[in-house]
Amino acid sequence: MTMVNETGAGKTGAAISEFLKRPLVIALVLIVVLLFAGNALSPGFASGQQILRLLIVAALLGIVAAGQNVVILGGREGIDLSVGGVVSLSAIVGGNVMNGADIGIVPAVLACLAVGGFFGLLNGLGVTLLRIPPLVMTLGMLGVLQGLLIVVRQGIPSGQAAPGLSSFVTQPFLFGLPGIIWLWVLIGVLMALMLTRTVFGHRIYAIGSNEHAAYMAGVPVKLMRVSVFVISGMFAAVAGLCLLGYSGSSFANVGEQYMLPSIIAVVFGGTSLAGGKGGYTGTMAGAVLLVILQSILTTVNIADSGRQMVFGATLLLLMLLYGRGRAMRA
Amino acid sequence: MAKLSLSGVSKAYGATLALRRGDLDIEAGEVHVLLGSNGSGKSTLCKIVAGSVRPDKGEVLIDGRPVTISGPQAARALGIGIFYQELSLSEHRSVAENICLADLPGKSGIFVDRAALEARASRYIALFAGVAGEGFSAEALVGNLRADQRQLVEIMKALSSEAPVIIFDEPTSALDRAQVDRFFEILRQLKTEGRGIIFISHRMDEITAIGDRATVIRDGETIRTLKLSETDPAEMIRLMVGENSDLPSAEHELPAAGPSAGAPLLSVRNLSGKGFRDVSFDVLPGEILGFGGLHGQGQSAVLRALFGASSISGGSLELSGRSLAVANPRSAIRSGLAYVSGDRGRDGVIQGRPIVENAAPIHYLKERLLLARPSALRDKVLPALGALHTKFASLAHPIGSLSGGNQQKIVIARWLIERPEVLLLDDPTKGIDLAAKADLFNLIRQLAAEGMAILLYSSEDAELLGNANRILVFNGGAVTRELTGADRTRYNLYQAAYEAA
Repeated sequence: MTMVNETGAGKTGAAISEFLKRPLVIALVLIVVLLFAGNALSPGFASGQQILRLLIVAALLGIVAAGQNVVILGGREGIDLSVGGVVSLSAIVGGNVMNGADIGIVPAVLACLAVGGFFGLLNGLGVTLLRIPPLVMTLGMLGVLQGLLIVVRQGIPSGQAAPGLSSFVTQPFLFGLPGIIWLWVLIGVLMALMLTRTVFGHRIYAIGSNEHAAYMAGVPVKLMRVSVFVISGMFAAVAGLCLLGYSGSSFANVGEQYMLPSIIAVVFGGTSLAGGKGGYTGTMAGAVLLVILQSILTTVNIADSGRQMVFGATLLLLMLLYGRGRAMRA
Repeated sequence: MAKLSLSGVSKAYGATLALRRGDLDIEAGEVHVLLGSNGSGKSTLCKIVAGSVRPDKGEVLIDGRPVTISGPQAARALGIGIFYQELSLSEHRSVAENICLADLPGKSGIFVDRAALEARASRYIALFAGVAGEGFSAEALVGNLRADQRQLVEIMKALSSEAPVIIFDEPTSALDRAQVDRFFEILRQLKTEGRGIIFISHRMDEITAIGDRATVIRDGETIRTLKLSETDPAEMIRLMVGENSDLPSAEHELPAAGPSAGAPLLSVRNLSGKGFRDVSFDVLPGEILGFGGLHGQGQSAVLRALFGASSISGGSLELSGRSLAVANPRSAIRSGLAYVSGDRGRDGVIQGRPIVENAAPIHYLKERLLLARPSALRDKVLPALGALHTKFASLAHPIGSLSGGNQQKIVIARWLIERPEVLLLDDPTKGIDLAAKADLFNLIRQLAAEGMAILLYSSEDAELLGNANRILVFNGGAVTRELTGADRTRYNLYQAAYEAA
């Protein structure tokens, strides 16, 4: 074979300009800019304590977005709108299983993973066996979950976080950072390894990029598609438990706030909604960016309508920047 | 004066000259047959008449007046009706609506006049009364019809244009004998009305039964127009095939030494499925078995079915003497089959992903790998790419950064890491450059020499004649002739392809 060596002037310049157009880099730059902007608007916004709080909130979102990311990468209009419902249900199940006692943490984790995995499995089976589009299937599942929440709770808050769980989420654990941040970092590393270094990861990209070609190359497409939804359900369940630890007890529809943001974080991070393109590192930056943006908008006390407009405009702006980056690479 | 006349028409797609010099005269009251092999320019010529392709050069005359056919609508307005070979029907609409789709009768300019619609459609439906088969009516949904009935709807749709010139591009491929006879009666009636019919078919019996004159196109040029009453099938095929058509293929390029006799590696018995029926053959280890014939006669369908990508309705398979069941590509791959499609964009390339990931999926499957270690993969992938002289900068680059030929090499390389026993090649060189083709066929011969059994379908006859030890000619979904040894000539290939199925 012939190895073509890349040479020529301007290669370094081109490489730098390409680097600057990568979604991850754009998101990181925006994060720094927003932190300065926030601090200017409200001194103390970028204090250590405040950033730590933002990171915890971002970790909660980021964990949900990890599952969302996997589903979206798998393509065929993959999307999981039921994550919010799973987060809520997991918080309730977890709170009731542990009921304020540390000894109940392990059973609670197992129960929540089982619940999340189960609803993910239902989503996956609906999408593959019944051929229901993911958007419809997971939206329907969200409805089922919301109904289930009402039945289970009967309007009364129940279940309590164990002290161990609460401190895991809110109290410093290692190098001054709480356990949830470390958990998020661990998830980030594992996701990156899974997507780049495992056959499973390569197959997710393969079905997301060209499902038919993947099928012709022996990829178990249906199994893969079910798996990505199960993964999404389980990540949402983990996030639900962490959210329980964050707020102490579970309240109504606590997870609902995660449905759209988890998708936006993935898109902010440069993953294509068409599937087969992107990764989780960008999504992590996307989650942080989104949380900072939300926080600034809360700080300046902007009306909800204005907040929606800023979100929308930011999303469009980023799409524009990423799109240009892609065009440059093609 | 000719009804429709084309002279010196040419059309190039990029660097490829699809039509070099097309001349055609259609008289009023004749059925004019177009004859030409795969890629001869025959369909380009039709598309120019139909208005879906604009010629680069040349003149089109209708009733002696020069015209520009700017699009399908313009063609209709100029009095040209078309039967489309690829079914162009609306599945969810009724037979009547489909027949009148191009010109729905209106009421006050807004509504469809249902009564007029039914009345008009029923005229054409009545033409095929008695042969259209069960369930065929004006109200029936096209989606519920059988293949032959849909083809009848297409024919009725073309007839309903009432155009002075009508093009029928393989209108009889799905029809039964009675339907064809009725269709020919209708064509004879149209002739007496002074209409001009352009007729394309690959069945010599039909051509001689209905045609008045024939124009032969070869390599993008009109070779000759002849009266069918003054010629015979042998002459027509000779004109289509060109010079030296009787020489055995061994004269231009000798296929690799034939396989040693022995037990067949793959045995196919009475295999039937969608697009093919009752196909039987054996392939020996080291043999390259060619699938020949015109486009879409079941060659690809058989290969895809063997690979588990489409279902098999009957017949049996044996691999190395053991019964073989292929449920899907995954099980076919596990059994030792490999499939390379010419449509790499749809069946092969995982766009946007690195070269290494595009070369590795079969390795993952056969070795049941969980981890994809870059260094280990590299050691596996590089030799496979090297065997095909693949040019690339880095294994980490996206496959889209390569030329078409090199992309196809990557897709083929994925089958070379763990060798299959049987390699199914479905027009593998479609759209790739000559150098890549040469590399590919060198490799194929080498693989055969090492004992692999290879099934090769190619739409380029030279590739078949130059590489296959035996050629099975497909016609209408069945194998109609087997060409071996000195019989492997272009002439025989065409004669078999044009025989009545």
